[in-house]
Amino acid sequence: MPEIDTLLSVENLSTHFFTQQGVVRAVQDVSFSVKKSRTFAVVGESGCGKSITALSIMRLVPEPQGKIVAGKINFGGRNLLDLSKKRMRAIRGNRIAMIFQEPMTSLNPVFTVGYQIEEAIRLHQHKSKSDARDLAIQALQQVRISDPKQRIKEYPHQMSGGMRQRVMIAMAISCKPELLIADEPTTALDVTIQAQILDLLDQLQKQSQMSVLLITHNLGIVAERAQDVAVMYASRIAELSDCKSLFDNPLHPYTQGLLKSLPRLGFTGKRLYTIPGIVPEPLRFPAGCKFHPRCPVGCNDKRCQTVEPQLRSLDNGRAVACWFAPGYERPDNPK
Amino acid sequence: MAAYIIRRLLYTIPIVFGVLLLTFILFTVVGGDISFEIAGKNATPETIREIREEYGFNKPLFLAWDSQFVRHFKDALTFNFGRALDREPVLDKIKRGVIPSLSLTVPIFFGEVVISVAIALFVAFLRGTVWDIVAVVLCVAGMSIPYLSFILFGQYFLAYKWGFFPVFFSPELSIPQYVALPVIIGIVTGLGSNVRFYRTVMLDEMRADYVRTAFAKGLDARRVLFRHVLKNAMIPILTTIVLAIPFLFLGSLLLERFFGIPGIGYLMVEAIGARDYFVINAMTYISAILFVIFNLITDICYALVDPRISLG
Amino acid sequence: MLTRGFHLADNTQTEFKPPKGVSLWQDGFRRLFRRPIAVICFAVIIFYFALAAFIYLAEIFHWQIGFTLWSQATGPSYQPPCRENIFGTDIFGFSVFRRMLYGAKTSITVALCASIISIGIGVPLGAVAGYFRGIVDEIIVWAYSTLSSIPYILLIMAFAVVLHDKTIAGFKLSGITSVYLAIGLTSWVDLCRLIRGETIKHKEREYILAAQSYGCTNSRIIFKHLLPNVFHIVIIIFSLQFVSFIHAEIILSFLGLGEADKPSWGAMINDARIELARGVWWQMVAATVAVFVISLALNVFGDALRDSLDPKLRVR
Repeated sequence: MPEIDTLLSVENLSTHFFTQQGVVRAVQDVSFSVKKSRTFAVVGESGCGKSITALSIMRLVPEPQGKIVAGKINFGGRNLLDLSKKRMRAIRGNRIAMIFQEPMTSLNPVFTVGYQIEEAIRLHQHKSKSDARDLAIQALQQVRISDPKQRIKEYPHQMSGGMRQRVMIAMAISCKPELLIADEPTTALDVTIQAQILDLLDQLQKQSQMSVLLITHNLGIVAERAQDVAVMYASRIAELSDCKSLFDNPLHPYTQGLLKSLPRLGFTGKRLYTIPGIVPEPLRFPAGCKFHPRCPVGCNDKRCQTVEPQLRSLDNGRAVACWFAPGYERPDNPK
Repeated sequence: MAAYIIRRLLYTIPIVFGVLLLTFILFTVVGGDISFEIAGKNATPETIREIREEYGFNKPLFLAWDSQFVRHFKDALTFNFGRALDREPVLDKIKRGVIPSLSLTVPIFFGEVVISVAIALFVAFLRGTVWDIVAVVLCVAGMSIPYLSFILFGQYFLAYKWGFFPVFFSPELSIPQYVALPVIIGIVTGLGSNVRFYRTVMLDEMRADYVRTAFAKGLDARRVLFRHVLKNAMIPILTTIVLAIPFLFLGSLLLERFFGIPGIGYLMVEAIGARDYFVINAMTYISAILFVIFNLITDICYALVDPRISLG
Repeated sequence: MLTRGFHLADNTQTEFKPPKGVSLWQDGFRRLFRRPIAVICFAVIIFYFALAAFIYLAEIFHWQIGFTLWSQATGPSYQPPCRENIFGTDIFGFSVFRRMLYGAKTSITVALCASIISIGIGVPLGAVAGYFRGIVDEIIVWAYSTLSSIPYILLIMAFAVVLHDKTIAGFKLSGITSVYLAIGLTSWVDLCRLIRGETIKHKEREYILAAQSYGCTNSRIIFKHLLPNVFHIVIIIFSLQFVSFIHAEIILSFLGLGEADKPSWGAMINDARIELARGVWWQMVAATVAVFVISLALNVFGDALRDSLDPKLRVR
């Protein structure tokens, strides 16, 4: 059901890695939509496949071993997976941009910050050197870096972590993309800087109406900054919803477990709750529902042990993949 | 930056001292009293005594103002290497051998650098394809064949049997003529390990995070490799290249020996055969000094190329 | 029905079994030997070693087994390869094949002894330098910087020349002893540097601090805690250096610094210099092939070893 204000829609995306030990199914059958001018968060534990999903959208999956084996990524009326390499390059950095987790290693240490920003501008907008320089200075101003004319000439190692992340953001927004993918942008930063960077992203979003796809493992960030969210577990989406509904009434046992694990003010019990067990290894996924060995509801259920629940839409615009979710077993077909 | 250079310069002093100490221990302490070798057979005791007087072998080793070590030290610093076993001043021998050696090693050096870097770049670009595997196999095979065999085969087939090149040096031949085959052999033998090393360096760089960022900006593979990766990869590559320069002066010992080229390497090989400590000592000292100098130059180049060092 | 605040069932733990722990070594070696090419190379290496050991024993115990008797004339002088002598004969009529086999013993012995010396110096010095820092570190770094200022070939030759036929403490050094002493005493630098670097890195890690905090003595920390963690470097360097030691021995033997009377691959190549002009190619080929095979096997195995033991290259 494509809506008018859907910017990016991912349908049944599957990305696999072909290694010596076997096929690693990092992303399986993932579907969601990012609407215009909204922030969509993808949240999950390390290794659940959220980063690979983001890289798949950009078609930056590491080549020989990794391959997008199925699905569609609809953006601007085209399926990105059908585009030639040349056309995809024209989209990267231009209409869809991405920022990464480690700003120190993600910036080239031997080029100035200015050069790296100008490079993107000159590539996509074909500006002259001096125009590009001015635009780069503007971009630095937008990300609230003081004295941009001087900073332009500096190298990444001369800046603090927060500033480097701002530079990454400046590089990403320099061509005014419609979608910004942010892969754990604040994980490597101090908590106080985290808030600044997230505020900055909020402002930029409001200014330019750009959408943000936010990859994170931090539920707190999701609650504060995102409007829509997908919860991923072991390469699949467990639950898809708008934020408010998710936190008010989580449908999937995994989401419920996550929320239950969050420490709360006023908590007077003896022990913090944890979801028992650990995340399964991609080469040894359990049969049936991937979460069932750890699930309080489904661990002994025959169906949960043998049949994998697909992601199904519910009436209220939410979607969930759990046999026990209310409204899951509708007479009409899934999706 | 200036502070860095001064600090590095100061550090060379203990190293030079260490080298002198090492050569002294090696050639005088362990090597022992070589008066007999100098005198030759049928030497009378007076001759031996005279020789010992002349060379100072009768002085204490370390603890005196005119001890052997002090003399060794002074001689080295003034580049006074005395005479070889055949009584010719060592310095003269060395001077004679410099030109032939350089005319051999300089082309090898440049040829090798250019060709290895080019091949490594090419292979890194085509990584994962058949050419990459072929190249790696060839390199490993090349590294496994003994250097001597390369020279012998080359000399035997290309010069002796098929006559493309002269087999030995002779004074009538012009420099390019007698240098051509050894240069080719020298380049080919060195390619194996160099290409492998450069390839590894480049592949390691290609795995860096900033490469992912560059692709995310929309750059194509060529630009990413030749601009982003190369500049970073050149840092370790440059280090090894500059550090290889002092070895140029040593001449390629074996190549000179095989082809009869009268360079410094040939001199060394002769000296080893004759157990001529004076020549060997001089050569060791000179190459160490050169090495130290070029190490310094490398570090300075490094600081110039990598902004993290000079400004960090 | 699922709502907020449900209670956890107590029997969920029964389905869950934690995975068995696998150490870096076990995992590394398992992965290594799963690759067929690594297994082949390892077999080749073992073969050479076994051959060398057998010939060594045959020499000591005077066993009279055919192929160990290299100084027995088996045919006319310079006989080309034929049925009686697979690789032909040399100038004395000795079987080139047998000389080649003996050469394996020479090379392996030299490389092994040199490795032992090199590891015996490099590892302790590196660990001590990296762990204690301060003046001890400065001295050790100065020592190896000095050694590395002199070009390797030159250094080895200088040592070999000086040690050749020397008598130390009443002990006359045989030609071959001087060779591996020369190689061993000059090649510990790279290993020392790497061990020192790793030690410095590891020293900052918490497990060292923990060991210190409960009163471990320094030597215990170094030997029991630190060295096992850097040992993979030693193994890798050992396999890579072994090749260069074999090649170094060849060059030294070639220059006449080795043992003159016993066969070695370097001596065979030296003989080949004159022989080639007479059209006698078999000694050259035999020696080259012998060296080539073991070098190739060691190089490939060393690479495979490095790939398997590198924690960064593991999947997940």
